[in-house]
Amino acid sequence: MGIDMQFTTLFQQIINGLSLGSVYALIAVGYSLVYSILSFSNFAHGGFLVVGGYICYGLLSGLDVYGYFTIPPFNIWLAGLNALIGAGFIAVLTERLAYKPIRERTSMTLYLLIASMGVSIVIENIFVIVVGGRFRALPQDIFQDVFAVLEKILGFFGLQSTREGSSHLFNLGGNVTVSMFDILSLIVAVLFLGGLQLFLRRTRWGLAIRAAACDLRTAGLMGVNVSLLIGIVFFVAGVLAAIGGIFLSFRYTLYPQLGGITTKAFVAAVIGGLGSLPGAVVGSLILGLAEMLSTGFISSQMRDLVVFSLLVIMLLVKPAGFFGKQISDKI
Amino acid sequence: MTPAAAGSLLEARNIHVSYGAIKALQGFSLSLNEREIVSVIGANGAGKSTFMNAVMGMVKRDEGDVFLDGKRLSRKSYRVVQSGLSLVPEGRKVFAPLTVLENLQIGAFPRAGQGNIAKDMEWVFSLFPRLKERKDQLAGTLSGGEQQMLAIGRALMARPRVLLLDEPSLGLAPIIICDIFAELRRINEEGVSILLVEQNARQALLLSHRAYILQTGRLLKEGVSSDLLADPEIKEAYLGTKSR
Repeated sequence: MGIDMQFTTLFQQIINGLSLGSVYALIAVGYSLVYSILSFSNFAHGGFLVVGGYICYGLLSGLDVYGYFTIPPFNIWLAGLNALIGAGFIAVLTERLAYKPIRERTSMTLYLLIASMGVSIVIENIFVIVVGGRFRALPQDIFQDVFAVLEKILGFFGLQSTREGSSHLFNLGGNVTVSMFDILSLIVAVLFLGGLQLFLRRTRWGLAIRAAACDLRTAGLMGVNVSLLIGIVFFVAGVLAAIGGIFLSFRYTLYPQLGGITTKAFVAAVIGGLGSLPGAVVGSLILGLAEMLSTGFISSQMRDLVVFSLLVIMLLVKPAGFFGKQISDKI
Repeated sequence: MTPAAAGSLLEARNIHVSYGAIKALQGFSLSLNEREIVSVIGANGAGKSTFMNAVMGMVKRDEGDVFLDGKRLSRKSYRVVQSGLSLVPEGRKVFAPLTVLENLQIGAFPRAGQGNIAKDMEWVFSLFPRLKERKDQLAGTLSGGEQQMLAIGRALMARPRVLLLDEPSLGLAPIIICDIFAELRRINEEGVSILLVEQNARQALLLSHRAYILQTGRLLKEGVSSDLLADPEIKEAYLGTKSR
């Protein structure tokens, strides 16, 4: 492989890595947000992602519920919006049904962790029973409207697009191309994560959430309705997971076990520092880049090996992650 | 249930709290009048903090009710805060990763859009000018005394009718304790009623108008603070001086 070729691969994989990393970031930030408030790993988080994916899929292709009633196919905007809200509500419902009764009885977070594993199995199997376990592909033309808008905006900056089959590509010079979809997922991730940051920094409830992440009990003493606050946090986590779910089911395929991919988001959150939102973003980008660079330069079969090696090295060298609370800080 | 005695602002009646088989409070009652400072003193484990948390709805009461102006208080802590009680918790519990300003803003949480929050912020800064100097600093970087000032300021931002303080002298140097207690007197003179729980009995009795002495979850004695300061039994057990 020539030097030029190597550089092309490097740039190409960095772009792919950032795009994948931004999807991981959406998932990891929601997971980390819940962790920061309730101090437990919510393993049902992957379930929220699957819920989002299926709602979007169902509405895009139109629903026919045993002939009783039919819903005509929605466009991506409406289907996406419903998927985000639906997953948000399922996340809140999960908290109310499975976690709240435990929270009110004990402060041991281990029980919450076990309950979340149960919920994750329940959600997965509900989909296996109701819609079947087979793989489903989201129609590849769903983002056409969105792409058309993007094309105009990028065209304004002098970037011309080409089409190769169904994929829509931009040439960045040399042989480096970036697909419309990668740009879209990057933009959407930046918009939502920026929006979350604004919400946390500029609003009264955002301040309450940051205070609760520091000390939930004391936040309650400030007149914050803790139960409502936890509801809001789960809703936000569900919405972010659903975006990740839609993008992942478009990039790969949709199936009931798709939530398993959150393992990667957990790894990202641990690398960045559990409970830290900037940490979750940084960890996700590192992970996305590591995956894509190992795919490009070693082999795609090695990418999970690289990812989990990163995790092990991080836990040995800096167990609290890049932005995590050091154990001594907690005392 | 008979209505609360006329004139008392806050009244806790027959409070029972237990942690599993351990009975932390066994029927403790207390009343606080408008513009009064009342202290509850007792040894470690007497149930003082439990009492404060029971009033605030932070621990479950087995029995007993709390009334503010004759109206029964909710058992949900955020509603208790909304109705006009604010607790400065034991160990200060400031939000370390937030700035001093943000800590004060979160104190005003229950008053969204009501009253002039900026004006109250100035009032708190006039009580504790040190906080104004450090308003953009993270609360975790403040000294213990400054953190206590911040915790008090944060509670005042809710514009409480009753300010509750759980061991405000804990872990502070004697000179800082004097400062803090002087500020508490000033806050009281500006119309805030104060309920104080302390192990530092001398300081608490010097500050308060009346006091209750709590021993293993029950009332041992109550009375006017100056009388209790002179009481030989109290002197020996809580003030560490022999009466002669």
